[in-house]
Amino acid sequence: MSKGKRLWLLLMALPLASAIKPYYGGEITIRLNEPASFQLNTANYSNLIFYSLIYENFFYLKKDGQIFSNVFAEYRYDSGRRTLFLTVKDNLSFSNGKPLTAKNIRVSLNVFLGSDLYAASRLSKTVKSVRFSENRVEVELRDDAPRILDMLTAPELVVLGEDEQSFSGMFFPQHWEKNRHLILKANPFYPGGRSYLDSVKVAFSGSPAPDLFLSGPGQRNDLFLEFDSGIYQNIYLCFLQGDIGQNTKVALYTLLKRFNEATGSRYRELHTLTADEESPISIRIKTFSQQKTMSILRHSDIKLHVLASLSSLQQDLEAFLRESNLKIETLFIDNSQFATFLDSAEIHYVLIDKIFQKKIPADEKISRILKESSFNLFNAKYLRMLGELDEARSSRSPELIMEQIARISEAIVGDGFIFPLFQKTYSLYVRRSWSDLEIDYYGRPLLHKVGKAHD
Amino acid sequence: MKKAITLLTLLLSLAVAGRAQQGAEALIADCVAYLRAFFQNRPDAQVAVVRFDNESELSDLAMQKIYQMLVSRLEGEGAVNVLDVLVNISGGRGEFALERAAGLDFLIDLKLIQNKSRTGLGLTVFSRLQDRIVSLKYFETSLSQDEAEFLNTRDFAFSGLGFSKLLEFESPMHLMDIRSVAADDGMKYFFYYPDEIIIYQARQTRLEKHFQFKLRWQRPFTPVRHYEGKLLLFRSGPDLILTAGNNFSSKTMVMAFREGRWLEIQDIDFVPFQYGTLNQNPYLVGARYAAGQNFFRDTVYFMPFHDPTDRTVAYEKKVCPAMDMAFAVQEGRLQALHLIDRDYHYRLYGGEFEPQSPLADRKGASLAVLGDEWLALSDHSAAVDRLFFYDIRDGGLRPVYDAPVDGEVQFLSAGIWQGARGFWAGVRQPAGGAERLRVQFWGKRDE
Repeated sequence: MSKGKRLWLLLMALPLASAIKPYYGGEITIRLNEPASFQLNTANYSNLIFYSLIYENFFYLKKDGQIFSNVFAEYRYDSGRRTLFLTVKDNLSFSNGKPLTAKNIRVSLNVFLGSDLYAASRLSKTVKSVRFSENRVEVELRDDAPRILDMLTAPELVVLGEDEQSFSGMFFPQHWEKNRHLILKANPFYPGGRSYLDSVKVAFSGSPAPDLFLSGPGQRNDLFLEFDSGIYQNIYLCFLQGDIGQNTKVALYTLLKRFNEATGSRYRELHTLTADEESPISIRIKTFSQQKTMSILRHSDIKLHVLASLSSLQQDLEAFLRESNLKIETLFIDNSQFATFLDSAEIHYVLIDKIFQKKIPADEKISRILKESSFNLFNAKYLRMLGELDEARSSRSPELIMEQIARISEAIVGDGFIFPLFQKTYSLYVRRSWSDLEIDYYGRPLLHKVGKAHD
Repeated sequence: MKKAITLLTLLLSLAVAGRAQQGAEALIADCVAYLRAFFQNRPDAQVAVVRFDNESELSDLAMQKIYQMLVSRLEGEGAVNVLDVLVNISGGRGEFALERAAGLDFLIDLKLIQNKSRTGLGLTVFSRLQDRIVSLKYFETSLSQDEAEFLNTRDFAFSGLGFSKLLEFESPMHLMDIRSVAADDGMKYFFYYPDEIIIYQARQTRLEKHFQFKLRWQRPFTPVRHYEGKLLLFRSGPDLILTAGNNFSSKTMVMAFREGRWLEIQDIDFVPFQYGTLNQNPYLVGARYAAGQNFFRDTVYFMPFHDPTDRTVAYEKKVCPAMDMAFAVQEGRLQALHLIDRDYHYRLYGGEFEPQSPLADRKGASLAVLGDEWLALSDHSAAVDRLFFYDIRDGGLRPVYDAPVDGEVQFLSAGIWQGARGFWAGVRQPAGGAERLRVQFWGKRDE
């Protein structure tokens, strides 16, 4: 049986209305970091959740491995023709009523394939061409890849509209009160059927008390259920120019470690590029004393660029740097604008973050770091190393894979453009009254079945 | 003087007869006898109980039984021209469709009273013509503990004589509504699915597929989790008209059967659920679903419908948002609107759209009205459902029958099967980890 048919059967088996109908209405409050814009940016966990509310994924991957789509009426892979056929549901629209067609699907897929993401580069190696006719998109592959659908579950692969007012997700932005909250309204044209909730309030502070929030694991609270998100966030300090002295690098690294200590050690120290538990090598960068750090940085004029996905640090970091009396200026840049910014300005110091699913193999994570975090320093050497990692992966030898991961890690650290700083693991806390909530493979809450219980 | 002597004689004779009876029966007999005598010389007077309070130890169910016995005796004897306008009894108080009181000549107020171990029934008759109380009467009797308990049980009729399941079969999922129409070659049954209408014809005790046609919806289209829709079939001049509206398309298709084909003749922006006349003008009546959701918004639309192709502006009446609604119709004339609100309370809107108090207890999300005689309601249940059948002939709401349903009622619609009038029910049932939809017809053989 094709996956399309199985999906159809599954949809048919979904609970229908009962003698007491599901209740439509109500609002859920989610505490997240304030986004910089509505342009897709899934760089951190908070963003990953936020943008999943307003952009619809091609496919969703549940924790149990089940894949489903709200956009496609049918999807079928033809091994003989090495082609994936995606049939778009009839009469779909974006949140503003503009038609959502196979053309939008093709454009969205091409945008994803052209992005700098590791998942996109993997997929673009596989895809030969993307065509569409009427309501069907045909994705022709270079080689037979029966598991092509797995690659299409990337959270960054979403349905994009032709203008900034067209949202494909379950909700669309209605009202934004800067620094306070953002109100998202139910998208009446949502391909998966109108949400039970009327709206989502995305609060940027603890007030009002949220129904759903992210925090470190193990916080006891009888009112909330804790879900293991399966996600961690790594923060790295990157040096994008070759003329930065080693002392300056280590001094800045030391300063940021101090900042973490000074603000209550919210982050765990990170000594590898991925996670300490899985890495074959450990990176130990010897920090300087406070006195030495200050003397090195005293005469520096540093512009530290920080990705907007780390905006939750802004207030504390700027206060810390002010107190240190150093000439270090922080500049927060929208993640989606960063690539363009790199082309137009000479950036030396960048603080970046990456989120990873714990379950993803270490070799995939290291590939992502190399591909997505070496920026303008990516060169033929790294390309060759990635190729060698692919070879090791295809050999299915864990030893060879580990060896290659170690080689890449050493090369990256040796080249000195990225220093791992911190790590944070997340749990998702959900008020018990919203217990219908599910978490997908990428740690995102799925609000599809969430509704307010009728009194 | 002669009249007074006659009345006195009658009352004395009935009082003697009443003493031969016991308990509630005696109380009612006394009351009936008194009213019969009172209205003896007023054969054309329209009478109704419009107030009924309980200060005795009896329950609401017992009140309901006493009321029903009293009204049916008065109706049965024919001596009093009585209307049954009771809507509900809740918390020791009767609720009545008072808009009907405008046409009454006499209004009756009843009160049950506890007098130590005895139960009393107070009766007040009010004349609308004279605008004053014209009679006061009090009856009293002893009710044994056993009789009181018996009165408090929920039995209002012999279920064998009531609505029973006459037909049951399986349907594809997502069936939204069923309507039927009499044709030259017998009854045709229209089954409304989100993307097609399948027409069946009755062959003895089963349905055979006769014809089907696809429904092609256009944008604006709101994908839904739960399909809801209303189908309507009626004759307008020489045409058989079909309207198909739902919660996923903002446009309702209006089709006419001409030269053997269904032709789309126009679309309208609400979902019709009744065709009928008001002040002798034909109207298409309906409401709008909240887009993509499972309930009607708070407005009922009345669109004049003389010419099927004519687009006429509908006029509006505010009600409350509703899970389901249906009109009672008497000989084609629109009477009262019955609905289930979003809190699952049954509500009645009379001829002038004045709202009645909702029923206190919750019901299910589905209802249907058969003419102006019967109302069917589903139960407020999430697993094992129940159908309640109410007699609404006089504008009241008299619970008569109820029956358990194996599954959950998804929709109800009035219909006819094998000559028996009744209700179609779409019932969702679990089936080996999945679900199936059973179609049932609940009919009353003697209707």
